[in-house]
Amino acid sequence: MTKTKGTIKFLFWLGVSVGLFYYAYSTYSSGQMISWYYYKAKTDGYAVHSGYFKKASKENPVMLQIGKFDKIEGLQAVEVKKGDRLPQNTDGIISSKVIKEEKRAKLEGGMLKVMVASEIKDAKGFKFRDTFKHKGVETNPWSGAWNVAMVLIIGLALGLMAEGFTDILGLKLDKIAHH
Amino acid sequence: MFDFIIAGIEMPWMLLVLTGATVGMVGGFIGVGGGYMVTPALIVFGFPGYMASGIDMCHIAGKSVVATVRHRQLGNIDWVLGLAMVGGTMFGVEQGVRLLTWTKNLGLSGIILLATSVVVMIGLFIYTQLETQAANKMAIKMEKEGIKVGREVMTSKVPVFFQRISLYPIVRCRQARVVISMWVIVIVGAITGVLAGFLGVGGGFVRVPAMIYIVGASTHIAVGTDLLEIVVSGGYGALRHSMMGNVDFLAVLFMIVGAMFGAQFGSIATAYVRGPAIRYILSYSLILATVGAFLRLAYMLTGSKYAFLSFFAVVFTLGEMFFLCFFIMSLVYFALRYQKGKSVPDWIPSLVVQK
Repeated sequence: MTKTKGTIKFLFWLGVSVGLFYYAYSTYSSGQMISWYYYKAKTDGYAVHSGYFKKASKENPVMLQIGKFDKIEGLQAVEVKKGDRLPQNTDGIISSKVIKEEKRAKLEGGMLKVMVASEIKDAKGFKFRDTFKHKGVETNPWSGAWNVAMVLIIGLALGLMAEGFTDILGLKLDKIAHH
Repeated sequence: MFDFIIAGIEMPWMLLVLTGATVGMVGGFIGVGGGYMVTPALIVFGFPGYMASGIDMCHIAGKSVVATVRHRQLGNIDWVLGLAMVGGTMFGVEQGVRLLTWTKNLGLSGIILLATSVVVMIGLFIYTQLETQAANKMAIKMEKEGIKVGREVMTSKVPVFFQRISLYPIVRCRQARVVISMWVIVIVGAITGVLAGFLGVGGGFVRVPAMIYIVGASTHIAVGTDLLEIVVSGGYGALRHSMMGNVDFLAVLFMIVGAMFGAQFGSIATAYVRGPAIRYILSYSLILATVGAFLRLAYMLTGSKYAFLSFFAVVFTLGEMFFLCFFIMSLVYFALRYQKGKSVPDWIPSLVVQK
């Protein structure tokens, strides 16, 4: 009887888990999740796609064409103000502050010159590569709530699925007598 | 290789599953989130620092649900204790974050953070080790005298002092079999919350010993109840990080899949051992994490000049996860042998339970 119940429990929660994973994966790969993440400008600056110039260095700077594009394609940059919706394919903003400093990027002849695409920084005593990706971008707050709700539901589904699985195996897990 | 398009890195997804599994096993067994192990691991894998923290926090919330479901089945959760402590913890975390901002403004946050975590962890390690060794000796003595040894053996008298405080309202934690002033639980939650908020971790490594040595809960109850609390506090932390866009959701999913296997094993493993065995693993995890933090502190104090210090800190932090998993699996293996009447090392019988 326990095994039958366990099998039903396992199959039901396995179905729920697979469904949730499929939904999460399709949202991720279709770009819907990305549009939640790269949503609005949090600062004044230039919207860019950092992947196109990730190898830019002082020796080999990269020039970005400034314009009013609906979609960032290649070495392009779109001027944005705080609160503006971002053009498609944007993954970060080179802020006005960074441009003013002229250490990593600067305006030159109507173009945006990127000199340092990434630099090594410390976090909690560990080094990591800091790029323009995800910089100055405001996330849709609802995506945060969606993330946490999905994580908790998936955790619950996996936990109950595992419980069903141990029931199928006949592993007796009685309540522990603590005293 | 998998392209994590939000984090902007490519890496083998199996590494995330493996990390989730190892940390899940340790977390399910000793009742901690494991943030102090996961964040450095993710940074080593190439995730930016802010995203490593966000992914870690989100995965901790999901993993804690998986482990809590199993601990509920084992009867290791005291809902009254857990929910009463959550309030104090949330208040404490907020104060801890403010304290962190204040030290950041002084320009000292990194060094103060690491120095505080080193001091706290060494203090907890010494106390837990001494008490657990005394408890273990007592269990061995009782067995020699033919006295039946229960699931929990503890020698600390500190909980008795706190349980005598008769400040209204007094709550009865049925599962933990503790009658104590609500204020003690809330204040313990607040203090551990301040540490958690200040150090930027879940705080399980402080809260589990606090529940055992101040509130007087048994080790198993402390582990299960802490995981319940992490679901709430970790969920809140995950929400904050997610709203700021610090989370690559697919990386979290891969880690939760790994955590499902690890957390199940870790949680079920608690059914085979006595309280001191869990406390031993907890204290070893504390000292190993301390060595990693100490190396990072030395690296920062020397102005990031000596790269080998950072390298050893990484090696130590990652090695710690595998060492603790190996230790837990060994305990379960020997517990099964002991239950079948087969030969086991001399140090095993006092740490595991007979059928």
